[in-house]
Amino acid sequence: MKTVIDSGSTGRLSLSEIIRFKGLLWNLSMRDVLVRYKQTLIGVLWAVVRPAINIAIFVFFSMFIEGGSDLQERIVNVGAGIIIWGLISTSITDVSNSLLNNSNILTKVYFPKLIIPISTLAVCLIDFLISFFILLICKIAINGFPGPEFFLFPVFVLYAILFSFAVGLFFATLNVKYRDIKFTLPFLLQIGFYVCPVFLSSSFYLEKLPSSLAPIFMSNPLVTVIEGFKYCFLGQSFSVDMVYVLSGLCFTLLILIFSLRYFMKFEKTFADFI
Amino acid sequence: MSQVIITANNVGKKYSLKHLSGKSKDDMFFGSIKAKARGLFSKSSEEEEFWALKDVSFEINQGDRVAILGRNGAGKSTLLKILSRIVAPTTGRIEFDGRMAALLEVGTGFHGDLTGRENIFLNGSILGMTKSEIKSKFDEIVAFSEVEKFLDTPVKRYSSGMYVRLAFAVAAHLDPEILIVDEVLAVGDAAFQKKCLGKMKEVSGGGKTILFVSHNMAAVQNICDKSIYLKNGQLVDYGKTEDILPLYMRSSQATRLADLGNRPDRMGNGAIRFKSINIKDQSGTVVASAQCGSPLTIELEIDANPSFDLSYVRFSIGIDDDFGQRITHLSNDVTEQIFEKVKQGRSVVSFQIPELPLKRGDYTLTLFCAVNGDVADWIQEAAVINVEAGDFFKTGKLPEESQGNFYMKHSVTIY
Repeated sequence: MKTVIDSGSTGRLSLSEIIRFKGLLWNLSMRDVLVRYKQTLIGVLWAVVRPAINIAIFVFFSMFIEGGSDLQERIVNVGAGIIIWGLISTSITDVSNSLLNNSNILTKVYFPKLIIPISTLAVCLIDFLISFFILLICKIAINGFPGPEFFLFPVFVLYAILFSFAVGLFFATLNVKYRDIKFTLPFLLQIGFYVCPVFLSSSFYLEKLPSSLAPIFMSNPLVTVIEGFKYCFLGQSFSVDMVYVLSGLCFTLLILIFSLRYFMKFEKTFADFI
Repeated sequence: MSQVIITANNVGKKYSLKHLSGKSKDDMFFGSIKAKARGLFSKSSEEEEFWALKDVSFEINQGDRVAILGRNGAGKSTLLKILSRIVAPTTGRIEFDGRMAALLEVGTGFHGDLTGRENIFLNGSILGMTKSEIKSKFDEIVAFSEVEKFLDTPVKRYSSGMYVRLAFAVAAHLDPEILIVDEVLAVGDAAFQKKCLGKMKEVSGGGKTILFVSHNMAAVQNICDKSIYLKNGQLVDYGKTEDILPLYMRSSQATRLADLGNRPDRMGNGAIRFKSINIKDQSGTVVASAQCGSPLTIELEIDANPSFDLSYVRFSIGIDDDFGQRITHLSNDVTEQIFEKVKQGRSVVSFQIPELPLKRGDYTLTLFCAVNGDVADWIQEAAVINVEAGDFFKTGKLPEESQGNFYMKHSVTIY
């Protein structure tokens, strides 16, 4: 096996290289999962407690703002929104910080750097799955088994991860050189929480927004993700127009391609700047 | 004959150093903000280029054990990092054959909250081992590390010795064609160091190619048959260790053992002035660094002013460590070798130390001279000397680095 290190070569995405290091990917993911709730009193229960409290708070606010009286349905609706948003926001945050958090490895051994942001997703996904099953149980207890549309949920979960990874990867690369990200990101996520239909329904947004802003609201790919995920649980109607679904998907893929290229371009210099 | 396994051609690494302009220096906070703001609009920030490594070319044959020698900042670590693909070179090209593993640090990626067992798997995979490789070597690793009892304890509860032993044990069981080792042997207690050296030799015996950076000249001599000598980022010489090592030890370092004649920061009436300082080894050759456990001579060239009464002359050298802590003090006062009379003009004062008891590191010398009870010359931080590790006890062993600053001859009996 011959290896060439050339000053002129530019970073290229090599899937075979990532597959060669799959053992490392697995071990890094396991490390994050194992470490997450070590030395905590209630351990993995935090994955349930945090969203539960959030759901309680925002069910109240949503009743207050949006009106309506069906508390049980509201719990499922807001619960689905909060849980999928939790996956999105923790993935974006963790992926953004992944390179910095692993700088000790980054500066000491060689491996394809993309493994680090990818491995971070595992722990986010596991947290999500725990709260997902709790919500499912609640939903069944409240108003029975969900319809067949429920089995579409992996599509929306995958979409959420894809979007979060694409955005997080861009910030992760930027974070190597500019630590400003740690101040900006929480702020951006907070804005995101209110411009996406997390605890309010998108129909409420469309009702209140001036009609000229409606297309802008709808073209946010996360509207598709969150509405779709709620649809899996509630099974009423999927209210997002197909145009917006497709344009959102294209937009997400563009971000992903851009982020990957940006990451690859600077991959070689990470150890110099971090 | 063995074949070439690593080829490096004109390898260079450039870093840009950013400077704040003179004005903003006095105001760290707003200065840097202003500089940043300026940087946003123009690209003319004051950048200085710095080549950590320049035009380095060499070939290494399969089975060679090569030491990389050089002072701090000579580019050794940069070279290792480029070879192990952690940083990319700015110029040049390197080719190598086979699997390469780099040990730039002991315990890379160890996580304090994980148990010893979990860390073996994590660290092994970070160093490039596959899961089945780690599994097959697991028992060996545990036996080598001597931490069987604590395998299921989080490593943050380990003593530092146990931690290092476990970390090295994983690394020692890597099985690459090319092994890069940076200074990792400078850890652990003496017995464990010996075990590590033994392991290194065993590995190299099996036809493995090794690149080794160490300040421990005894280890270099012991393990490496060839040496690369780097200075200021450039390759000075490459050849057999027995030829390169003396060259490296002797390399003059004019900047540090500076000319003292023009030092303005001195005190005293000037009856005697220090002119220069040199250190020599046992053969009387001027050397750049002293070796622990070997004889050392410090020579001070002085100039005596004839208009003074040059009697009762006392010379002393204060030796400080890296932290500015005074380690010891040499003088002809305590040895009762006061010079009743010193001839005018140039003389050389020679301090002889039969066996240097200092541990490796940099030491700062303060020179002092009194004539007739008055201070004649006094230069603080006159020179820095570098002490290399050496075989002080003639046993090949030294106490752990953290165990004090100097060595003391002793023997132990039981009755």
